[in-house]
Amino acid sequence: MTTRHDPRNEEPFDIREFTRTAQGNFRAELDLESYATAPLDPSTLELVRYLERLEAATMEHLRNLLVTATHKDARVTAFLVTWAFEKFWMADALDAVLEANGLERTKTIPEGTPRRSADEAIQRSGPIRRAVAAVGLGAPIVAVHMTTGLIDEWILETAYNRLRESTSSEPLRSTIERIQRIKQRHEQFFADETDWRLRDSARAVRQVRAALATAAWPIGAVERAATDRDLFEEFVFGGAEGKERAESVGRRIAGLPGLDARIGQTTARKLVP
Amino acid sequence: MAFDIDKYAATSERLGWDDLDLDHFREQPLSADTLRTLRYMADVEYHTVCYTRDLLTTPSHKEGDISTFMTMWNREEFWHGEALGAVLEVHGITVDYDALRASRLKLGWRDRLDPIKQSMLGKIVGSDFVAVHMSWGAANEWSAVSAYKRMADLETDPVLGELLRRIARQEARHVAFYVSQARARLEKSKRAQKLTRLLLSKFWAPVGSSIMEREDVQFVFGQIMSGVEGRKEMKKLDNNIASLPGMKGLTIFEKALDGLGVAA
Repeated sequence: MTTRHDPRNEEPFDIREFTRTAQGNFRAELDLESYATAPLDPSTLELVRYLERLEAATMEHLRNLLVTATHKDARVTAFLVTWAFEKFWMADALDAVLEANGLERTKTIPEGTPRRSADEAIQRSGPIRRAVAAVGLGAPIVAVHMTTGLIDEWILETAYNRLRESTSSEPLRSTIERIQRIKQRHEQFFADETDWRLRDSARAVRQVRAALATAAWPIGAVERAATDRDLFEEFVFGGAEGKERAESVGRRIAGLPGLDARIGQTTARKLVP
Repeated sequence: MAFDIDKYAATSERLGWDDLDLDHFREQPLSADTLRTLRYMADVEYHTVCYTRDLLTTPSHKEGDISTFMTMWNREEFWHGEALGAVLEVHGITVDYDALRASRLKLGWRDRLDPIKQSMLGKIVGSDFVAVHMSWGAANEWSAVSAYKRMADLETDPVLGELLRRIARQEARHVAFYVSQARARLEKSKRAQKLTRLLLSKFWAPVGSSIMEREDVQFVFGQIMSGVEGRKEMKKLDNNIASLPGMKGLTIFEKALDGLGVAA
């Protein structure tokens, strides 16, 4: 161990416990038969499909993380390996719901065309640009990845809550609850890492602020179909109540070390359709 | 036969060793040489995520089956690292995350440029590059199976032998995936065959060469692959590679061992 003061939290997230108790396949625990007599409506199914795509896109996201200094941090990579595994099975559970409603598995269905808006151009950079851009950034880039991971969890939590509250399907509600329980530990990890890294380094704070200014949400959205994104934004963050949900995410961001209301509002504005 | 990716995912599990009595190493510790090789193996397994990075920068990541495989494969390899780490731990050797981080930092600039190089190459040659990666992966996983089995045969300790055989069994499933992918892709494209042949013969090096010191690589492969039995295993590995479409006559393992000065 180093003699330097350890900036990490006194009781950090228990990464070993997390890796040891990762949640694999849980299809068998889902009530899928009920959909035969009480199928979900088409717009709910579209949202489930989109959530599936978001959960399944781990390798796309890992690519962007691993070409930077983030891959050097063995604690973070141990987490990411397990996180990807759990997300794979959450996506699989959502696929099971779609299949039980008579639809095809997501991977067999081509995805629509993404948005091409100029203000998101930077988010569409491939690995070369990302690797080159990260060369001078060093370790604070890990803080950027942890913070955006945390915010992404908050956004998806909001989306799952909204879907859970809006559906009358008990089986879907319980599947969402199951997924949210798994995601809690992801949020805890990102929160823990974000907290100490932002407190530890002013450079990290500066980089996080810069990253949030150009971010597109949820993570990986730039690769997703424009129509799916429209649907998602309208459903989760549309209307007066939706705007309040977006602002609530913004306030949580404002409360992170080194961040403020202005940067929180920037993100909230990006969320609303 | 085609590799059933759904079945693989559904049956992928983390390596278990709770039923093995690792504490008996306290009375009968493994030799320093064995521990050195196990340490090497643990490091290589933990670094799998770094190889994944190289894979992901090419068009491979867009293919659903490959992405499913990599998710499971990464986790299995991580647990091989944990299992070997548990054996080392009983001997007072701690492989903690901070130590791993330090060894990754040591790689420095060379490593930092690597994904850029890979990605550019991937862009130029497009989907044929996926064939290269799959063949490369096949060579690596084949040698991993051999290494674990050879080590299990060389070691007289029954607990270590059992643990290594368990790891080898999972590695054998990885071989099946890479080989089925490589074969299918090579069969489809003469260009992919030529490219793969060129890159394997020019650049392939034993697993771990890019992350470990040369003397460690020499030591480990000397321990596992020297002598008559070692050379027999090496020939088997070269025959495996040569059986892939367009790879006839390649002897990358022999070349690598000779290059390392491993005694025949």
